[in-house]
Amino acid sequence: MAHTSDMLTIIIRSIIIYIVVLFLFRIMGKRQLGQMQPFELVLTLIIADLATIPMAEIGVPVLHGIIPLFTLVVLHFVLTFLCRVSTKFSMLVSGKPVIVINPKGIDYKALKKLNISIEDVFEAMRGLGYFSLDQVEYAIMETNGKLSILAKSNVSPVTNENLKIDVAPAVIPISIVSEGKVMKANLQEAQVSEDFILDFLHKKIGVKTKIKDVLVMTIDKNGLVYLQMMKGESQTFENVREVA
Amino acid sequence: MKIFSRITLFFIFGLLIFFCVIEDVVAGVALQALQNDCARVEQLSLEKDDIRDMELALAVDTLEYNWTVNESNLCYLVNHKNIQEVGVEISKLKVYQSENDVKEFRASLEAVKFYAHSYRHFMGANLHNVI
Repeated sequence: MAHTSDMLTIIIRSIIIYIVVLFLFRIMGKRQLGQMQPFELVLTLIIADLATIPMAEIGVPVLHGIIPLFTLVVLHFVLTFLCRVSTKFSMLVSGKPVIVINPKGIDYKALKKLNISIEDVFEAMRGLGYFSLDQVEYAIMETNGKLSILAKSNVSPVTNENLKIDVAPAVIPISIVSEGKVMKANLQEAQVSEDFILDFLHKKIGVKTKIKDVLVMTIDKNGLVYLQMMKGESQTFENVREVA
Repeated sequence: MKIFSRITLFFIFGLLIFFCVIEDVVAGVALQALQNDCARVEQLSLEKDDIRDMELALAVDTLEYNWTVNESNLCYLVNHKNIQEVGVEISKLKVYQSENDVKEFRASLEAVKFYAHSYRHFMGANLHNVI
């Protein structure tokens, strides 16, 4: 019985810690997940380690896990605030972007300072679609460890502006049905109603069609609908606002 | 920074201060009560030739009861491993008292007093603890 209650305690503690850590990551912002600065990476590592202690050690109060987590979050906000108000402080904590390739070639001194090899630069370049040094005008190692590349003008992709072509402004398709459920939060943005969706489905697919039969349905500002039913291939319909 | 984050940040900061104060108060009260109960037991034990005395037994029971209550409160705030020796020594006190083993009884009482005294330093935020 003692073991059972220990297990139950661990389960409850794990749930509490999980919720707290999730909450902390949510208030720290989405940047945590993608582009981590050095201090954010340190914070994430420490949080991961701290969170496990009260989960497994029943003698340790949950508060002993939560208090350091809260302290780190406060510290994170203070650091982020200081980084925002002071460029010097930001450079001290996060470093500054370093040009590793310039028009003269690779800056080997900069690479040595960053403690990265030429192979690491090649790897990052390949990841961005550049396989030759000849294609790169500038390469900058960002503070979050990612490489940014400015390609030479002769290999940079041709844009509509280069070709002097007038194109309609880009529009974002908005998901209005996903896996049989109406995305109610997106309906206002898409300027459609649930009745519109049903009406559209009845007209285009069949009278007996229900929303739950739709795998995905998106609509953009120009009235272009992308529709795929649970069974069947995808279809697109133009100017549906007028049709409906 | 969104207003929600700002409010949450202040809330968390307030929570940290709250827990620090609560820990200090609860630990202070618990250890003071332990020291007072120990002093009472010690005084009675010095007055009696035979420690198998009803008054002394009641004082030890009070010491045990008060510590059990305070220990359960402290468990929310401090590592249980750090405070469990007090309970062990109090249990020993009761055994030595029933056996009229004065020497061991006093040794256990001294141990409890020592723990109560040392925890006061152990639990505070001083330079030794921080470093």
